[in-house]
Amino acid sequence: MAEMRITFQEELEQVEAALQEEGDFVLRSLRAAVNAVEAADAELADEVIAFDDEIDKRYFEIQEGIQSLLARQTPVAVDLRLVLAMLHSNLHLERMGDYCVTIAKLTKLVTDVEPDEGLVQAFEEMGQRAEEMIRVALDSFQRRDLEAASSLVDLDELIDRANRRAVERVLDFGSDESKREWGLRMILVSRCLERIGDHAVDIGEQTAYLVTGEFREFTDASHPEGS
Amino acid sequence: MRTVAPIEIAQPHEASLSASDREAVFETRGLTVSYGKAPAVSNVDLSIYRNLVTAIIGPSGCGKSTFLRSLNRMNDLVPSAKVEGEVLYHGQNIYGDGVDPVEVRRRIGMVFQKPNPFPKSIYDNVAWGLRVLGMKDDLDGRVERALTQAALWDEVKDRLKKGAFGLSGGQQQRLCLARAIAVEPDVVLLDEPASALDPIATSKIEDLMHELKNDYTLVIVTHNMQQAARVADLTAFFTLERTEEGGHGVLVEYGETPKIFTQPADRRTEGYVTGRFG
Amino acid sequence: MATEAARFTLSPSRRTRRRKLVNFAMQGLATLAALSAVAVLALVIVSVAQRGAKALNWDFFTKTAATFGESGGGVANALVGSLVLVALATAIALPVAVLIALYVSEFAPPRIADLARLVLDVLNGLPSIIIGVFVYGLLVVGSGQAAWKGSFALAIIMLPLVARATQEVLALVPPTLREGALALGASRWRTVLGVVLPTSVGGILTGTVLAVARAAGETAPLLFTTSIVANTVTWDPRQPMLSIPLSIFQLSESPDPADHARAWALALVLLSFILVASLTARTLLARSRRKLER
Repeated sequence: MAEMRITFQEELEQVEAALQEEGDFVLRSLRAAVNAVEAADAELADEVIAFDDEIDKRYFEIQEGIQSLLARQTPVAVDLRLVLAMLHSNLHLERMGDYCVTIAKLTKLVTDVEPDEGLVQAFEEMGQRAEEMIRVALDSFQRRDLEAASSLVDLDELIDRANRRAVERVLDFGSDESKREWGLRMILVSRCLERIGDHAVDIGEQTAYLVTGEFREFTDASHPEGS
Repeated sequence: MRTVAPIEIAQPHEASLSASDREAVFETRGLTVSYGKAPAVSNVDLSIYRNLVTAIIGPSGCGKSTFLRSLNRMNDLVPSAKVEGEVLYHGQNIYGDGVDPVEVRRRIGMVFQKPNPFPKSIYDNVAWGLRVLGMKDDLDGRVERALTQAALWDEVKDRLKKGAFGLSGGQQQRLCLARAIAVEPDVVLLDEPASALDPIATSKIEDLMHELKNDYTLVIVTHNMQQAARVADLTAFFTLERTEEGGHGVLVEYGETPKIFTQPADRRTEGYVTGRFG
Repeated sequence: MATEAARFTLSPSRRTRRRKLVNFAMQGLATLAALSAVAVLALVIVSVAQRGAKALNWDFFTKTAATFGESGGGVANALVGSLVLVALATAIALPVAVLIALYVSEFAPPRIADLARLVLDVLNGLPSIIIGVFVYGLLVVGSGQAAWKGSFALAIIMLPLVARATQEVLALVPPTLREGALALGASRWRTVLGVVLPTSVGGILTGTVLAVARAAGETAPLLFTTSIVANTVTWDPRQPMLSIPLSIFQLSESPDPADHARAWALALVLLSFILVASLTARTLLARSRRKLER
C-alpha cells in the first residue's frame, strides 16, 4: 500500500532529528564542562554557560513542535508513544544541560585552587562514562534498540561507584583548609555528573517504553533489588 | 530511518507563512449572503492567501458552504440568493457590474461533497471541460497531467475509455479533482470533499492537498476539524449567532492552524475545537 | 413466572387470526383486480387476432383497395399514409417539445415554469376532435386537405406527451451534475448540451415512442384534415393520405365481408405496433434510469 500521511511522518522525523541535535549539544557542553573543571579554566566555563542558550532554544522548539504534533495530528499507537517519549527525553536532555552549567559555575568559584590529581582523574573517568551513557541513550533511542537501552543501567552503576570514590577522596583531605572548600564544591560536581548519568538512564527507559509500550523503571530507587 | 536536517521544526510551515507578505488571492469585505430575507452568513471580512490551504470550520448551519460558494458565484444558481458586500479577487469585485460569472468560474474551480463525475468515460470527464474552454491542444497530454496530479493516473491509465461510474468513491472524487485542475484554475474550492469517503480515501485526498497547494490556492470547508488540523495552513472558525429570526453565521477567529488548535484567542473557538460545544 | 411469560408470548391470538384473514382477503381482491385487467387485454388481443389473422396476406400489405366488384386488394395506402403522417408529426413535435422542456426545466423562472407546465397539461387533455377542428379552420378551409396538415394536428397531440416525458427525465438529472459542469466555467447552454441532454436521451426517446404510439391510433384530427383520399399509394405530403384508424373505420362501413376481415387485420397491425412500442418504451426508460442512478 502506498505511503500516506507523508507530511505527518516528516514532521515526526524533524522533531526527532532536533532531539538528536540537542543531544549532540549536550555532549559538547559536557565535554567542555569536564575540561573546564580539570584545567580550572574560567573562560571555558563561561563558554559552557553561554552555550546553554542553544540547548534551551532547542528545548523550547521541540516542546512547541510536540505540542503542534499532538494538537494537529492526533497521533495514536506507536506515533503517540514516540511523541511522548520525545517529550520526556527532551526534558531529560535539558536537565543534563543545566547540570553542565552548574558544573561550569562551580568551576568558576574555585579557579584559584590547584586541582587535585586524583579527583581530576576521577572526574575524567566519570565524564567519559557520562558521555558514553549519553551516546548510548541517544543511539538506542534512534535505533529503537531495547537491549542497548537496558545496558545503561550497568553503565550507571559505574558512575555511581566513581561518585562514591570521589566523595571518599574528598573526605581524605581531612582538615586541609584550602582544599576543604574546593573539595565540597567538587563533591557537587561529582553529584552533577552522577545525575547526568541518571537522566541518561531515564532516556533509556523512554526507549523501552517506546518499544514495548510499558511504563517501567529499569531500577527503582526504593526497591534496589528489583520490584 | 532517514536522516532529515532539523530545521524550523516547531511550525513546519512557519517559514512559508508570514501571511503579511503573501499575496491575498481573495479579500471579502462585509460579505453577507441571504436566502430570501434571512441572512445565512453575515459581515465576513476574510482574506485567502496564495498557495496555502485555508480551512473553514464550524458547526452545521453556520454558513461555511454558503461562504465558500460565494467565492465562485455558485450562489447565483439559487434564485433567492442575495449577496451584499464585496468579494475581491485579485483586487476586483467578482460581484461588480459587468463581471461574467462564467469567467469567474473558469478561474475558481470547485470540488463537491458527493463525487459528481459526468456519465461519460474517464477520459471524457477530464477532456470535456478542456474542449468547452477551448484548451484542445495536446488534449491527451493535458488529461494525463491532470490525472497524474490527482494521483489517479496509474489506477486508470489502462481504462480511460471506460465509464467513470465504474470507479470507487475515492477514485471518483479524485477524478472530479482532476477535472477541476485540468482547466488550470487559480483557486480550487473544496466543499467537504472527503465527507462521503472512507478513511483511506480521505487520507489520500489530504496528502494530495499538500502537493496541490504548490500550484493552486486551496480553500476547504470541512465539518471534521481534525482534518482541518492536519491539512490546513490557516483555519477560519465560523459559528452560529442566534437572533430572533433564527440564526446566521459569523466569522469568529482566523489564524494559523497550530495556534487555533493549541491556543485559540476566542472562547467560542476553544469550545468548538475541544468538542465542548457543537 | 407465569405472568411474565404471558406478557411476552409470541404465539397467535384471536386478534392475530382476524388480522391474517383481513390480509388474505385484501391480497385476494387485489390479485383478482390485476388478473381481470390482464384478462381484458388478453381478450382484446385474442379476438382481434382471431378475426383479423385470416386477412393477412402479401396483397394486404402491398396493394391498395381493389376496384369495385373485384376481390383481393389491400391496405397499402393506409400503411404508407400512417407512416408518413406520424413520421412528419414526430419531426415537427420532437424538437419543439424538447426545446420547450429545456426552457421550462433549465432556464425559466419558477412561476413561468409552473405556467408552462399547466399549459402543457391542458393541451394534453384537449379532446383530439377539437384539435382537428382547430387545424381544419386554420389550415384546411379554403385550401383543401393535405397529409402535412394532418401531421400538424398530430404534432399538437404529441407535443405535450414528449415535452412532459422530457421534463420528467430532465428533473431526474441530479443538480450536482449541472453544478459540476458550471463550476468548470461552462456556460448554461454548454452544460445543457454537453451534460444534461446526453444523460436524458433515454427518457426523451421513451416519451417519443409513447407519443408515436398515441399518434398512430388517432382518428378524429385526421377526419378533417386528411380523409378524402384517392385510392393510390402516395408519398407526397401535399396530398391527402389515408391513415390506419380511418381506414379501419371505412372498411368496417363497407358491405363487403372481406373488407370487414381487412378491418380486423388492420386493427391487429395497429395493436401489435402499439404493444411493441410500449414494450420498447419501458426498456428504454429502465435503461436510462439505471444510468442515472449510479
